[in-house]
Amino acid sequence: MRSRDIAFALLILSILLILAVPTFLGALGSLPPENIRSLARSILGLTFNPYNKSLWTASPEAVAAIIWDYRGLDTLYETMVFYTAIIATLMLYREVLGSRDEVRGRGLSLIVKRGTAIALPAIVVVGLSTVLHGMLTPGGGFQGGAIMAVAPVVALIVFSRSIIEESRLTYAHLVALRSLALLGIVLVPLIPIIVTFGNAFIFQNQAKALYSFTYPSTVLDVPMGGLITFLNIFEGIAVFSAFTLAFTILLYSEKVSRKAVEGEDIGF
Amino acid sequence: MTVDLVGNLVFLIIGVVSIASVPFVVLAIESKDLLKAIIFSAVQSTLYSFLLFLLLAPDIVLVYVAVSVGLLPLLSTLLVKKVGRYEK
Repeated sequence: MRSRDIAFALLILSILLILAVPTFLGALGSLPPENIRSLARSILGLTFNPYNKSLWTASPEAVAAIIWDYRGLDTLYETMVFYTAIIATLMLYREVLGSRDEVRGRGLSLIVKRGTAIALPAIVVVGLSTVLHGMLTPGGGFQGGAIMAVAPVVALIVFSRSIIEESRLTYAHLVALRSLALLGIVLVPLIPIIVTFGNAFIFQNQAKALYSFTYPSTVLDVPMGGLITFLNIFEGIAVFSAFTLAFTILLYSEKVSRKAVEGEDIGF
Repeated sequence: MTVDLVGNLVFLIIGVVSIASVPFVVLAIESKDLLKAIIFSAVQSTLYSFLLFLLLAPDIVLVYVAVSVGLLPLLSTLLVKKVGRYEK
């Protein structure tokens, strides 16, 4: 046992040295980098450039512009991967989906309940502001959705399941919400093509030299980045409902979860 | 070799934070008490989120904090509740 511990410590140390020494000697180039790569320079120069609107996105935040505009299709497929992962989770528990838990908990003490009740709206508000400012500040749909999803999970534990089961946040509502949000994510890139009968690109945000379709670039004098805002909102709703769904199912009591895995040994 | 301490302050902090995270990783792997292992891994995640913030990736920080400090320890704690706290 003793020699095993020493070997473990040596392994950690050697990994540290292997990573640290080349970095210190300049293997990653000069840190911070002295010159910007040409792709980064062109994106930074074009993202929010009111004097040259040929390739602009109307969003001052370059990361959001890359995620939902320049590389929009990549993010669409990433959303699809997330969607499939949640579908797989739901499929494993298909026999108990939407059913009420048999054990009725009473939640934690009154002090914890009141404290959480004050903090919960704040969590949701922070998440919402992250979603809605996705085109101006760091953040966006996934980030805001993940922050918002903390609220129902904490509520599930602190107030016990029954309060969630008796509220409107039911299984059917969450699935409907999530499907609508995903439909929105699919429709927003297609709307330019549908509205102009084919005279636009897929994921077209602002007017290009070839096709003149454009999403609005400002709302109330604030740059909104056209389709970036809509996609952020839909992504936020989809991520929030997906995480909530996954956690409500994972937090079932032993009795109900056992029902879902019965007969696993003879195959699903 | 002389190192400009003030000019490289951010990188020095990055180095200190990343070295500080190593003991927590080791403790999380070594600990036989799974609940403690979860707490160690959450501390390591907090240090990493600080690291990502210093490396100017605020977008990643927002996801990383919510998932690795909020949702992941919660899910693992529930798992520990079901499978038992001490590893044999």
